Amino acid sequence: MFGFLKKVADYTRDAVDAANYLFQGLSVTFDHMGRRPVTVQYPYEKLIPSERYRGRIHYEFDKCIACEVCVRVCPINLPVVDWVMNKETKKKELRNYSIDFGVCIFCGNCVEYCPTNCLSMTEEYELSTFDRHSLNFDNVALGRLPTSVTTDPSIEPLRELGYLPQGVIEPHGIPAEEPRAGKLPSEMLEWLNQNSRPQESSERTNESVSLEKKD
Amino acid sequence: MKMLPNPFTAHLALVSPGIDIELSFNEFLQDLGVSPELAHILWLPLPMFLVLIAAIIGVLVTVWLERKISAAAQQRIGPEYAGALGILQPMADGLKLLVKEDIIPAKADGLLFTLGPVLVLVPVILSWLIVPFGQNLLISNVGIGIFLWIALSSIQPIGLLMSGYASNNKYSLLGGLRAAAQSISYEIPLALAVLAVVMMSNSLSTVDIVEQQNSAGLLSWNIWRQPIGFLIFWICALAECERLPFDLPEAEEELVAGYQTEYAGMKFALFYLGSYINLVLSALLVSVLYLGGWGFPIPIEWFAEWIGEPISSPIVQVCAGSIGIGMTVLKAYLLVFLAILLRWTTPRVRIDQLLDLGWKFLLPISLVNLLFTAALKLAFPIAFGG
Repeated sequence: MFGFLKKVADYTRDAVDAANYLFQGLSVTFDHMGRRPVTVQYPYEKLIPSERYRGRIHYEFDKCIACEVCVRVCPINLPVVDWVMNKETKKKELRNYSIDFGVCIFCGNCVEYCPTNCLSMTEEYELSTFDRHSLNFDNVALGRLPTSVTTDPSIEPLRELGYLPQGVIEPHGIPAEEPRAGKLPSEMLEWLNQNSRPQESSERTNESVSLEKKD
Repeated sequence: MKMLPNPFTAHLALVSPGIDIELSFNEFLQDLGVSPELAHILWLPLPMFLVLIAAIIGVLVTVWLERKISAAAQQRIGPEYAGALGILQPMADGLKLLVKEDIIPAKADGLLFTLGPVLVLVPVILSWLIVPFGQNLLISNVGIGIFLWIALSSIQPIGLLMSGYASNNKYSLLGGLRAAAQSISYEIPLALAVLAVVMMSNSLSTVDIVEQQNSAGLLSWNIWRQPIGFLIFWICALAECERLPFDLPEAEEELVAGYQTEYAGMKFALFYLGSYINLVLSALLVSVLYLGGWGFPIPIEWFAEWIGEPISSPIVQVCAGSIGIGMTVLKAYLLVFLAILLRWTTPRVRIDQLLDLGWKFLLPISLVNLLFTAALKLAFPIAFGG
């Protein structure tokens, strides 16, 4: 008799619990309806890529010494360095340089290892084409600089979450002058220099730097 | 707008049966020299068109709401460029489906494939006959009103199964079977929940059911007397409409699109239309059965008394009529909103959980609810419609 009653009680408790959880879930979804949309309306608004964004690679032909380090550090030996040895001057003569961005994985190793800094990463990410072979950029195409999101008058640039002022999560309508949360790298450097002036700058130990960073 | 003078409700009637559009239409035509039979035939398409237009506008609004509310729940913007706030987006969707190529798969059974969506849509539209928007604002006050709806809604699984089987596709067949199993399982608790309401109001007619709830405004609504019945009915209605958390027949992760997989163009649009008309219809019926239908939370009679106008005065009549329509639509759309919110809150149940819930939970509870209602009706005939 009591076993039966216990079953009924358990069953009822389960049903009530289920209803309770359902209302919790409903209150969460209902709460979200009052929040502002986080949409970035893409062709008209674009996020500003962060300063270390690894986009399409930029290449300066005149700086290149055709050492082929970029080819060796590339995981798939992608860059094509087309050079001939000039017998008279005994120097390499660079004819062509190309990277196929349909194959590139944008790891940035070539940029990291280039001895003359002729490679760099841009913030360009709009690389869709009708033909995959048109992603094979030669040295002329590699030398072009992308239009910056911030200077294009037809686009509204929006800051990413980490670049917004303290406590703000909505990038719309935030004036460009308002600084991001925390200190900029330049400000941090300035602040470090000021604080270390009383001591000898060379004597500034790692310990004091780490202490300052904690502040 | 057919009106049957009902002796039982005549003395309760808030809106006097003063306006009979059918009668005046027929008289007008007969004055022009048209025979009574021809006048009747000319009258017939008008209510049909009215239902169709009301249902389609209801669907357009629901589709727009679904997209906008879904977007808001996910912190998106939703349709924005088609008309102000994307209000024309459902029209654009419909137009796109209208001009799309109508494909019948080579190995499909052409006749059944075409008949399936029609069998799904027609009963749903037909059920709009019995939805009252006011005392006399319904197409036909049939005596078996709510029973007609239950009977019509059991035609739907035949159409679903038909289209699933005729598509000659494993996903379609599975979807069709699931839809049939689901509809049949949830029809029983649904009918039992309705039966409890019918028992209290002593009538199957939707008008009588609403009348009986509107003696004291908000407090006399059926939801207070039938809270469990209300929940059972709403859960079953969601299952009948194949909405989340019960959208197994078209579970896109498993079954592509269920019985709709092979459909394109206008035939797909019929399914789409059918599911949304069914949702609006279910919401309307919940408001009719449990939330006082066209009744304002405070009875209009009290207002009229307070102002000092007699109930039969034209101003009160017009106000009461428009408030009635407004209240019915408002209640229905609040329920549609709840359904959309539930869609983004609950995960889809498994097929065994679905059948467990239907047969092992809802069915016994709705039976107990029915017996309890009967007992209360015998014990307190005043409060439970003796």
